Amino acid sequence: MNRVAVEKRVLSENDAVAAGIRETLGRAAALSLNFIGSPGAGKTALLEKTLERLSTQDAVAVLTGDIQTDNDARRLSRYGHPVRQITTAGACHLDARMVERHLDGWPETGLALLFIENVGNLVCPTSYDLGEDAKIVVLSVTEGEDKPLKYPGIFRKAELMILNKVDLLPYVPFQPELARENARRIHPEIDIIETSCTTGAGFDQWMNWLAARAARKKLTATTEAVHADCSRADC
Amino acid sequence: MHEMGIACSILEAVDKELRLYPEQRASKVALRIGEFAGVDTESLRFCFEAITIDSEFGPMELEIEWCRAQDGRRGDELELAYLELDDVGAKEMTA
Repeated sequence: MNRVAVEKRVLSENDAVAAGIRETLGRAAALSLNFIGSPGAGKTALLEKTLERLSTQDAVAVLTGDIQTDNDARRLSRYGHPVRQITTAGACHLDARMVERHLDGWPETGLALLFIENVGNLVCPTSYDLGEDAKIVVLSVTEGEDKPLKYPGIFRKAELMILNKVDLLPYVPFQPELARENARRIHPEIDIIETSCTTGAGFDQWMNWLAARAARKKLTATTEAVHADCSRADC
Repeated sequence: MHEMGIACSILEAVDKELRLYPEQRASKVALRIGEFAGVDTESLRFCFEAITIDSEFGPMELEIEWCRAQDGRRGDELELAYLELDDVGAKEMTA
């Protein structure tokens, strides 16, 4: 018997594909965001309202994942931006290969912003890097305030928590402060925005977050391009 | 249940590693799984056994080191730590 050290990530094949996606989207300076949340948290509604606020001149595209049906792609395609459905046929998460296959041609068209709506699930999508710049976790007030404690993986990895459906707060025994506190126990630096897709509450703040994040991505991409040019020119 | 996908990824990784050792087979694979990796270790064991038992890889023991997010660990580890290899033929000899 011979023991050999390996010390590699189990999902290294997925990670390699994700790195390729990140590089391709980085060259295009396109910001990509991976939305993760329970079924019914309001991911699709959030994207609908977001697309509604973006100009059709903005180079935005959406990949939306579901186990079955293209219902979400049909909903999202009403806003004038390209949308592709990824039907996983049973898989409870998107992986980088699925994203790579469905991205076909988009990065070359001057894409600036890519939304990826993951399959509704707070556990499995957490493990898979899709080449995104940031994960966004969507939690709704019809769920429990302790979701961040029960599903710490995604709340640790997410850059932003969107607390959705806040228009329902008068009707449900949900304490937003407790949800915020729980999220920050798991991830002290997580950004938190409260939204309602029904009233539009919080959308100015969300759109500002999005604009700031896109600007940061563009700056990073420009800096990296300058460094790459510089190293090629041996300066 | 993404544990089945992860079990398949483990086998892919083992298969890739074994190409470096053509005269050997893996009798054990050791994983390191962080507390925030989002992996149910019992489901993973079940899936791993299901896909290896009658395959060219089986039988292969799965050892899991579950680790907390401390001492420099992030807690989201999902890593193949090491393999234990036997000479090809050892399976038949011990069967």
